Amino acid sequence: MAETEKIEVRDITRIERIGAHSHIRGLGLDDVLEARAVSQGMVGQKDARRAAGVVVQMVREGKIAGRCILLAGEPSTGKTAIAVGMAQALGTETPFTSMSGSEIYSLEMSKTEALSQALRKSIGVRIKEETEIIEGEVVEIQIERPASGTGQKVGKVTLKTTEMETNYDLGNKIIECFMKEKIQAGDVITIDKASGKVNKLGRSFTRARDYDATGAQTRFVQCPEGELQKRKEVVHTVTLHEIDVINSRTHGFLALFSGDTGEIKQEVRDQINNKVLEWREEGKAEINPGVLFIDEVHMLDIECFSFLNRALESDMAPVVVMATNRGITRIRGTNYRSPHGIPIDLLDRMIIIRTVPYSEKEVKEILKIRCEEEDCIMHPDALSILTRIATDTSLRYAIQLITTANLVCRRRKATEVNTEDVKKVYSLFLDENRSSKILKEYQDDYMFSEITEQEEQDPATGGGAKRRVESGGGDAQPMEH
Amino acid sequence: MSYQNWLNYLQSAEKNSMISGRLRKVLYKFPDGQQMAEEYNMDTGIIQRRAWRKCKQLMGEPEWEIELGEEPRQLNWSGNKQTGPGGDADSLAGSEFTVRESNTAPLLTKRVTKKNIEWRIRNMPYALEVYNVTASPEQRAIIVRTTNKKYYKVIPVPDLDRCGVAPAQDNISVHHQFNTLIITYKKPDILCEMEAQVLLLLKNVETETDMDDLLKGLMAK
Repeated sequence: MAETEKIEVRDITRIERIGAHSHIRGLGLDDVLEARAVSQGMVGQKDARRAAGVVVQMVREGKIAGRCILLAGEPSTGKTAIAVGMAQALGTETPFTSMSGSEIYSLEMSKTEALSQALRKSIGVRIKEETEIIEGEVVEIQIERPASGTGQKVGKVTLKTTEMETNYDLGNKIIECFMKEKIQAGDVITIDKASGKVNKLGRSFTRARDYDATGAQTRFVQCPEGELQKRKEVVHTVTLHEIDVINSRTHGFLALFSGDTGEIKQEVRDQINNKVLEWREEGKAEINPGVLFIDEVHMLDIECFSFLNRALESDMAPVVVMATNRGITRIRGTNYRSPHGIPIDLLDRMIIIRTVPYSEKEVKEILKIRCEEEDCIMHPDALSILTRIATDTSLRYAIQLITTANLVCRRRKATEVNTEDVKKVYSLFLDENRSSKILKEYQDDYMFSEITEQEEQDPATGGGAKRRVESGGGDAQPMEH
Repeated sequence: MSYQNWLNYLQSAEKNSMISGRLRKVLYKFPDGQQMAEEYNMDTGIIQRRAWRKCKQLMGEPEWEIELGEEPRQLNWSGNKQTGPGGDADSLAGSEFTVRESNTAPLLTKRVTKKNIEWRIRNMPYALEVYNVTASPEQRAIIVRTTNKKYYKVIPVPDLDRCGVAPAQDNISVHHQFNTLIITYKKPDILCEMEAQVLLLLKNVETETDMDDLLKGLMAK
């Protein structure tokens, strides 16, 4: 009984889903920035990782603004993985904004606005500010809901310290916070008066005997002393973009929650830049430049590139890391062809890190790591077959087969995936090559076969888009050389 | 033991003054970005209200912090100073507050008379024996304690700080009636002297026309 309950609790707390790069925990470098063969979820790609390590060092020192780094390489050679690794290596303190090149094509915002918001999201500012907080132990809490179920809630809370006790009325927004944090009598909490943020510090020692059993993570704290309302110096880490939003609208910081920011005027930005520089001189604020990562950078068009050219020259610019899997191709929005689909003048400002295709041994390591990440036990023979599949087709396809094979294996009530399971899923799911082969053979039986000839003439959209749909992988397109 | 620093600080400010009714209002803009507003009674020359506006870094416009006197009562006025950053009128309307003290909670106000500084704590129903009011020279404040652990407050005394005097227990007297605790602190001589000097300083500040008279004139037409 107790055993099953335990397992259930574990399942609830583990809500993270496993993404394509969730096995990556860093760049896997040692102290002198040499890449270890297999470390922190990274395999191979030694030169690229070493280069990324140098970039991370540059960002950490925070002196250089507006550098641009391009990660170039064939599909599924670990470009995004290296970027994720950089983000992990930099830690949570350094802002790391990740966006895809296509993200800027929004109808609500111009392309350059989206780009400059992304640039400003990547610059953090640490501000020391004195705020008023209320800190006390909850004596009593009452939340009344209207009988109809919806409408205004009325809330009252009594807080105490060792010296005093006061009743507070609660506003609607903060009631939600109280309910979310599941605050009850006996908890020691802090309320930030300005932002209305409620923080649970733990349970009061005097209430330690209320329940026979407590969760492992329950912390017991002393009841606070002195006055309920205190002034405390807190350090906020905000991004320039957040300061922009706060100052751009009349609703102020509420716009941050609603997400509706719209366009921000350049004047506001200039003012804030000046203000931040002023604070920095006074020692009130510290600038903490971060990284902007633009994946699929070939999807940006010529206007964005020329905007970036200019934006990177500002001394408030972050370090920009871009990734592309294209060779010499058309620059979007023009008829010119250029390496990586990026104009030469921007390329000239970049340093380029190349990723190379993985060797068979490295592929095997990656598959092993993914098996662990996806909680799948695989027989060594099955792993060899999977490696073979990965080298013949693509790494992404092989990774897709891990969980599917695991499911097949579980259906025959086994715990270890064997070669039969892998073969089974290999026959169940087609990879890109087999699928296009079938298409070529049975072309005439498909719909609209009369006009495919013309469509294939269009080099940019037709062929690529079709393959993308078939293979299922996001960017499993061949490099155009 | 000198108020020279304070006088110099006031001197450095850009001052504006106007008279409305029997009140003289003075606005100080200090070079460090702070602002202070004072209201003097014209009959007695005693300060009735003083408020500070300190620079804030985030969250838009700063609010006025009242050091002395009562807050203006307004319709729709919802308890003591709440929360809403930005502080513009429409964000405070209705139930747009996050958290505030309930209207039965003790409320502290400060008043200055010719001889004394007075604090009134309203909504304090307990008997006089419950309170324990002490001067704390280390904290430069007066501390109010209650034996039933219902109220505790460290009251800073900026007036005394300005002339470099620490609060003394002998000057405190306590009084309780009508649900109100009244703490009276007898002003030391140096404080009275300082206030007289400030008044002299303000004498030289030009005063704008009386808005009330102007309005009355307009209404009569």
